Amino acid sequence: MALTLTLVVPAVVAVWLLAAGRRYAPRTARGLALIASVVTFLLTLVTVALRTEVDAPWVTSLGLRWHFAVDGVTIPLALLTAALGIAVVVHARGREPGRPGGAIGPSGGNSAATYYACLLLVEFGALATFFARDAILFFVAFEVVLVPMWVLISRFGDDHATERARADASNRFVLFTALGSTLMLLGILVLVVQSGTSDLGLLAAAHGAGLSAPTQVLVATLLVIGLGIKVPLWPVHTWLPPAHTIAPTAGSVLLAAVLLKMGTYGIIRLAIPTVPEGFHVVAPFLAASGAIGILWGGLACLVERDLKRLVAYSSVAHMGFVALGLASGTQTGMQAALFGNVAHGLVSALLFFVVGGLKERWGSADLTVARDALRDVSPRMGFALVVGFASALGLPGLVGFWGEFLAVYAAWTPAEGLPVPLFRICAVAGVVGMSLAAAYSLRVLRLVWAGHQNWTGPVGPAPRRSRRDDAHGAELLVVLALVALVIGLGVVPKPLLGATETDVTVLVPRSSPVGPASSATGGTTVEASGP
Amino acid sequence: MITFDVGTLLPALSPLIGAVVVLVLDVLDTRGQRVHYAIAFIALVIGMFGTFGALGAPTGDELRTLCLPNGGACFYSATALSTTLQLAALLAAAVTLLLAWPSERADETGRTAVTVSLLLAATGGAVGVAGARDLASWLVTLELATLPVVALAALPGTRRALAGAVQLVTTSLVSFAMLALGAACWYAATGSPELGPGPALAATSTPQRGLLALAVVLVLGGIAFKLSLVPFHAWTPTTYAGSPLPITVFLAGVSKVAALAALLVFVQAVTQLGRSALIAVAVLAIASMTLGNLMALRQNDVVRLLAWSTVAQAGWVVVPLLSVSSFGARASAGYLLTYVVATLVAFTAVMMTVSVVGARRGRDLAAYTGLVRTHPWAGGALLLALTSLAGLPPGVLGLIGKIVALRPVLAEGWWVVGVLAAANVVLGVAVYLRWVRVLLQPAPEAVQEAMEEGGTGTVTTVTRVRTHPSHLVALGIGSAVLVLGSVQPELLLGLLG
Repeated sequence: MALTLTLVVPAVVAVWLLAAGRRYAPRTARGLALIASVVTFLLTLVTVALRTEVDAPWVTSLGLRWHFAVDGVTIPLALLTAALGIAVVVHARGREPGRPGGAIGPSGGNSAATYYACLLLVEFGALATFFARDAILFFVAFEVVLVPMWVLISRFGDDHATERARADASNRFVLFTALGSTLMLLGILVLVVQSGTSDLGLLAAAHGAGLSAPTQVLVATLLVIGLGIKVPLWPVHTWLPPAHTIAPTAGSVLLAAVLLKMGTYGIIRLAIPTVPEGFHVVAPFLAASGAIGILWGGLACLVERDLKRLVAYSSVAHMGFVALGLASGTQTGMQAALFGNVAHGLVSALLFFVVGGLKERWGSADLTVARDALRDVSPRMGFALVVGFASALGLPGLVGFWGEFLAVYAAWTPAEGLPVPLFRICAVAGVVGMSLAAAYSLRVLRLVWAGHQNWTGPVGPAPRRSRRDDAHGAELLVVLALVALVIGLGVVPKPLLGATETDVTVLVPRSSPVGPASSATGGTTVEASGP
Repeated sequence: MITFDVGTLLPALSPLIGAVVVLVLDVLDTRGQRVHYAIAFIALVIGMFGTFGALGAPTGDELRTLCLPNGGACFYSATALSTTLQLAALLAAAVTLLLAWPSERADETGRTAVTVSLLLAATGGAVGVAGARDLASWLVTLELATLPVVALAALPGTRRALAGAVQLVTTSLVSFAMLALGAACWYAATGSPELGPGPALAATSTPQRGLLALAVVLVLGGIAFKLSLVPFHAWTPTTYAGSPLPITVFLAGVSKVAALAALLVFVQAVTQLGRSALIAVAVLAIASMTLGNLMALRQNDVVRLLAWSTVAQAGWVVVPLLSVSSFGARASAGYLLTYVVATLVAFTAVMMTVSVVGARRGRDLAAYTGLVRTHPWAGGALLLALTSLAGLPPGVLGLIGKIVALRPVLAEGWWVVGVLAAANVVLGVAVYLRWVRVLLQPAPEAVQEAMEEGGTGTVTTVTRVRTHPSHLVALGIGSAVLVLGSVQPELLLGLLG
């Protein structure tokens, strides 16, 4: 019951806003959206605590059941989604379309209701994806987020960009993602038809029994390529930077922190436990793709001018680590991937909130324009930026460190049967990527936080020191909450690692293969030792 | 004495009797106009009630009538699959009737009786072909479903209408020639006029099985004309653009149902297609999807866009037939249902816009800017229909339709077809979202004010602009089916048995 309500509340309120919201003032629409997102968060807490489940027939001709449940892998992502659902609504205060200062979208009339409705629909789709326990239902929920996010990018996107740029970015997003999800559908259908069931629990328990090796390889290839477009893996990541550049702040946060997680979650839920032998064959390619993505993203960030695009490329790099962890095929690797997922969610949300706020104040996100040091003008935003980028570079003590470190560790000793030299090269690439991350993070901090000391580029307008320069009220609240989580989970990762541990052993039955001594250090160290 | 069960035959009889009644009434009293439409509507509703008996029955159950004495062959049977298609045809015809309903302005041409009786005759043929189980009734009812539409397309007498009608009639004649030849090959191969699995099975062990394969290919080609598959699609954009809009709706709805029903009757009789026939089906399907989507991307005339979209969707309708079991036939019919519902709603919204801003402007894509604001019901329904055709939520019905269509393809191992179909999903998304983007843009000010005032003559050539109540009813019916189908797709798919 709680689970159904968790899904129904954002969907119903969103439809209400779409249908009747034209007549609402932006404040009313925001109030409704806020109530809906808070209620959803509370219901998510209840669902997670009670571990409720709902299983009813829906489309019996397809064998599709309305089957949602909670387990350890779902909990962190669902909580992250619900929390960010509140954060984006709170942060949007004063920034809706149609209001002065709302730098979003060419608004003909009051479209704030549509804006909030799209945010709620994205939240609904993401929650449904994370809770789904039927393969085809997973696909349907996966598709729900496409149109609302497309509307956010194309209709409410960056005001300063041309209509053509908005159309191009939103089209790339929707077409790439639609291709990815349809390829995933092909993989799912082959799996379902050959196994005779679409229930994810049964498929995971079967571990590919009854499926021939070529079928498993086909399914794994289709699933990994399809989901890889969403992750995004190199070389199909090219839709992400334009989408982030054009999307409004709330859209960017949801895109980076929630939608990208759906891709890796899909690999964890659909590919790894159900077709293990097929995934084994695909894993080296996944690892290589992840490693190249880490390096590619890092190198791109070193020269990128647009701050939002820079954060987008750093997302590609971070998801490369997650992919590396998944490809290693060990429990440590999957723990690393799950942790890295949540870590990236928090860090990218923080960074996009801060960078979005900076873009509104500056009017653009161009790094080559000389501006006064952020630490002088907006010390709070500066502090948040420092924490965000420090976590992005993997500083120990912040949440980004654990995911990256464990992923490299897992890649160094992959599961048996996987080509060890290749994985070790990928691990080395990961470490090089971490140093590249340090380089670009410090580059941004030098340019933005410390100001341009030796810059020869054009000089920006002289700042009017006003209250608007620094974060206050809603924006400050959201940013500080994320900073607290980034620091907190970085210092004490045990709750998150512990939550996922049991279910990881179900999904990946084999632990690290190097021997009993190392299984004490490899698998169990992760949960027992803590910080 | 041949058995004659009125209850089973009611769906086919009712429109035909209605056509006769309308013509007789016109002889008696030449002034009637709306009464003709009313009689037609009642006839269609009675036909729909007649279908309720066999809906949702398990596969294998069938009601047979028109049987020869002493346990001979039966010439008409109603299975869940055929009855659902009959219901779809009747509902689509009812929606077409509502869209063609005359406004208060009197129709001076006095042609309502002709229009209505032609429409009813074509519907009767469409419904009849779904139940036909012998060659003669199959051919006759299929032609009955086609030829009146040619007359309907030509009735306005304008050059465009006549051009479209000429293309339609030449296409229909070539199609009929191929179908007749295919029927002849069937008869030569099996020696029996009965379209059933028995004669076909008996023929596969004889030297005439080559003729049977030829029959399949010829029938496939003939039906491909009616379904608008590539390369038999050339008539579709011209005829759709030239005919009056209600007739275009009829072509896109009832005619497609008739064509697929005829094809399914034949496919289920043959029960297995040879490798070459399957490859032909695959090539036709993929070519239709690709060409239809690519051409639709370039269109700014919404009727032509929907015409090319029909070509693409025809590919999707045919692709499940790669699995020639009843599984594939049901998947094909299921996809057709989702396509018909969405396309009818889209055309209804187009008709409503045309009636407000005039025929010339209403066919241009730019006239739909901000429709979700200016006319929320039509805009919202159109949005739902377009996302359903694209296969994205909120059009969950279309999404389920795509899953239903792809499942047989992958179950039989046609990987390449599956991947190409996936690429076409992306193309389709591009086609329909292009229109959705226009719908979501801010409305131009002038049109907005016109809508709010109740819209008397802004830049239009129509003196009175008002939404016809019959259009609203049609929109309501279509949207209700679409929304219910999205929330609970089993309501539609479960009817197929």
